[in-house]
Amino acid sequence: MSAPITLRTVTKSYTRGGETLRVLDELDLDMDGGTFYALMGPSGSGKTTLLNLVGGLDQCDTGLIRVGDEDINDLTGTELAQWRAENVGFVFQGFNLLPVLSARENVELPLLLAPLSKAQRRQQAERALELVGLKDRMNHKPRELSGGQEQRVAIARAIATDPKVILADEPTGDLDRTTADAVLDMLRQLNRELDKTILMVTHDPQAATYAAKTIHLDKGKLGRIDDNSAAATSAGAEA
Amino acid sequence: MPIRLLLRNLFGHRLRAILTVGSVAVAVFLLCILIAVSRGLDSAVAQASTTRLWVQSAVSLFVDLPNSYESKIERTQGVDEVIRFQWFGGVFQDTSNFFAQFAVDPAKWRASYPEIEIVEGSLEEWEKSRTGCIIGEDLAKRFGWEIGDRVPLIGTIFPRLDGSNWEFDVAGIYRSNSLSIDQMTMFFDFQYLRESQEQNAVGGPGGVGVFLTRIAPDANPDDVISAIETEYENGPQAVRVTTEAEFQRQFITMLGSVPTLLASIGGGVLFAIFFAVLNTMLMAARERTRDIGILKALGFGNAKISSMLMIESLLMCAAGGAAGVFLAKSAERPLWSVISSQVPGFEISTTVLGLGISLALGLGLLAGIAPAIRARNLRPVAALRLGA
Repeated sequence: MSAPITLRTVTKSYTRGGETLRVLDELDLDMDGGTFYALMGPSGSGKTTLLNLVGGLDQCDTGLIRVGDEDINDLTGTELAQWRAENVGFVFQGFNLLPVLSARENVELPLLLAPLSKAQRRQQAERALELVGLKDRMNHKPRELSGGQEQRVAIARAIATDPKVILADEPTGDLDRTTADAVLDMLRQLNRELDKTILMVTHDPQAATYAAKTIHLDKGKLGRIDDNSAAATSAGAEA
Repeated sequence: MPIRLLLRNLFGHRLRAILTVGSVAVAVFLLCILIAVSRGLDSAVAQASTTRLWVQSAVSLFVDLPNSYESKIERTQGVDEVIRFQWFGGVFQDTSNFFAQFAVDPAKWRASYPEIEIVEGSLEEWEKSRTGCIIGEDLAKRFGWEIGDRVPLIGTIFPRLDGSNWEFDVAGIYRSNSLSIDQMTMFFDFQYLRESQEQNAVGGPGGVGVFLTRIAPDANPDDVISAIETEYENGPQAVRVTTEAEFQRQFITMLGSVPTLLASIGGGVLFAIFFAVLNTMLMAARERTRDIGILKALGFGNAKISSMLMIESLLMCAAGGAAGVFLAKSAERPLWSVISSQVPGFEISTTVLGLGISLALGLGLLAGIAPAIRARNLRPVAALRLGA
C-alpha cells in the first residue's frame, strides 16, 4: 500500500502585494514509497508549499506531481477532494481537531466519506485510537486533552482511512521534547509497521533524525537528500 | 454529511443561536398576524352578500339621507326590502370599550341576514320592548352580558338632552356564520332612536345614515343600483349605491390603504430579519474558516461543506418559524376578541401558518447562500491559514 511520490519541474508562485514570489522553482524530486522523509530548509524555502502540493491542498502552476499512480495536477477540485479522502492523511502543527467533537468523532470524520456503516466507522475509529494509545480518552473533547494527546488524536485521524501517504507539517512544533519524541516515534512506527509513505516538514534537526531520509530545500529548489539510517538508529536506541 | 458536527455547530454559540431563532420567531409571528389581518379583510369582502345593497349619500357616509327616501327606494323594481341603518356611536363607560351600535328595523333586519343565527333570546323578545337590543356572541363574552342585562351607553352623535345615559336591554344574542359579519356589534330598534328625537329628548341628525336594500334573488344588482342612483341624480340629495362587498371595501379604504400598509410592514420586518440572520450566518461561517479548511483537507467536497452551512441556516430559521407560528396560533383567540369587529375574517388558518413557515424557510435559504458561496470559494490552504 506504499506510494512513491514524483515531482517534475514543479513551479509554484504566489502574488503578494503586487509582487510575484516564486516559492518552488522547477523542482524535481523522487520519493520512494513506504519511506519516512523529513523536509527541512530555512523559512520561505517552500517546505509547506511542497507539502500542500503533494497533499492536493493546492495546485502547482506548472509541472507534474504523481502520487502512487495518480497525476494529481490533472484532477479537478472535486476529484482532488475525493483523492485526498482516499489517499492522504494530514497531521498539522496546531493539531486542527474540531473542538465541538470528541476524540472519537474527530477520528470518525474522514471515515464519513468512506462507504462504511456506522458500526464499522466507530470500530475503525476506535482501532485507530487504540493504535495511538488513546482509546480510554475517546469520549473526551480536544480541550480536555493535553497537547501530546491532541496530536495523537490527529495522527489517529490521519491513519483512520488507511491512507497511502501521511503528510505532517511541523507535527511537534507545539510540543515539549518528551512529547515530541513520543509523537515522532509513533510516526516512525506507522512507517515501519504499516508501510506508509510519510513526508514531515520540520525545523528541528532532532526530529528529522526519526525519518529515514531528509530532503533539504533552499529557495524553492532541491538542496540535497541525506540518508539518516545511522542517526535514526541512534535516536531509536536513545528513545 | 456530518450531521453531528452540523448540530453541534448550530448550538455552539447557544446565546447567539437562541437570539437568532427568537428574532425569526418574532418576525414570523408578526408576519402571520399581518397576513391573517390582510386575508381577513379580503375574506370579509369575498363573503359579502350579493343581494344586499347599501344606499348612502353621494357626498359622504357621514351625511344623512332624508327619511322619505325609504318608500321611494322600496318602489324601485327588483327591491324586496329597505332597512334603515343608523350608526349610533355610543360609548360604554369610556372610549376604550369601543364597539359598534346600529339602529335598525328589527324584523326587516332579521329577514335580510340569513347568515345570522339568534342563539339566545329571540326576535320577538327584542321587538316586544323599545329598549331591547341584540348583541353579538363575542360582545356578550367580552363584557359578560346576558339576556335581561341593562346596558347604559353615552350618546355622542345622539346625546340625551338631560345628560342621562341611553339604556338598552339585552333581548338576544346572535352568532354570525359569515366572515363579513362580526359578532361584536349591538343592534337596536330604529324606532327607539326616532321616538326619542320626536320627544325632543335627544339631539343629533334626524335623517337616516344608510338604507340597506335587499334585492330580489333574480334581480340584477347593476340594474337596481342604476335605477336608484338615477332616481336621485338631481336631488334633493344624490345617492351612491354599492354592493355589500364594495361597502366593506370602502370601510377598509377608510382605514387607509391597509393592504399596502400591511405589505410594507411585513416587507420591512422580513428585510430586517434577513440581515440579522445573514449576519449570524456570516459570523458563524467566518468563525469556522479553520474548520472548513480541516474538512476540505480531509476530503470533504465543496458541495458537502456548502450544504452544511445552508442546512444550518435553514434549521435555525425553521426553528424560529415553528416558534413563530406556534406563538401566532396561541395568540389567535386573544387577538380575535380585540380586532374581530374590524376584521371579522381574522383567522390564523393552516394557510397562514404554512405561509409563515415558508417565509422562514425562504429566509433561511437566502441567508445561507452567501456563507455557502464563501465556504465553497475558500481554497483549503487559505482556509487553514486564515483560520489559524
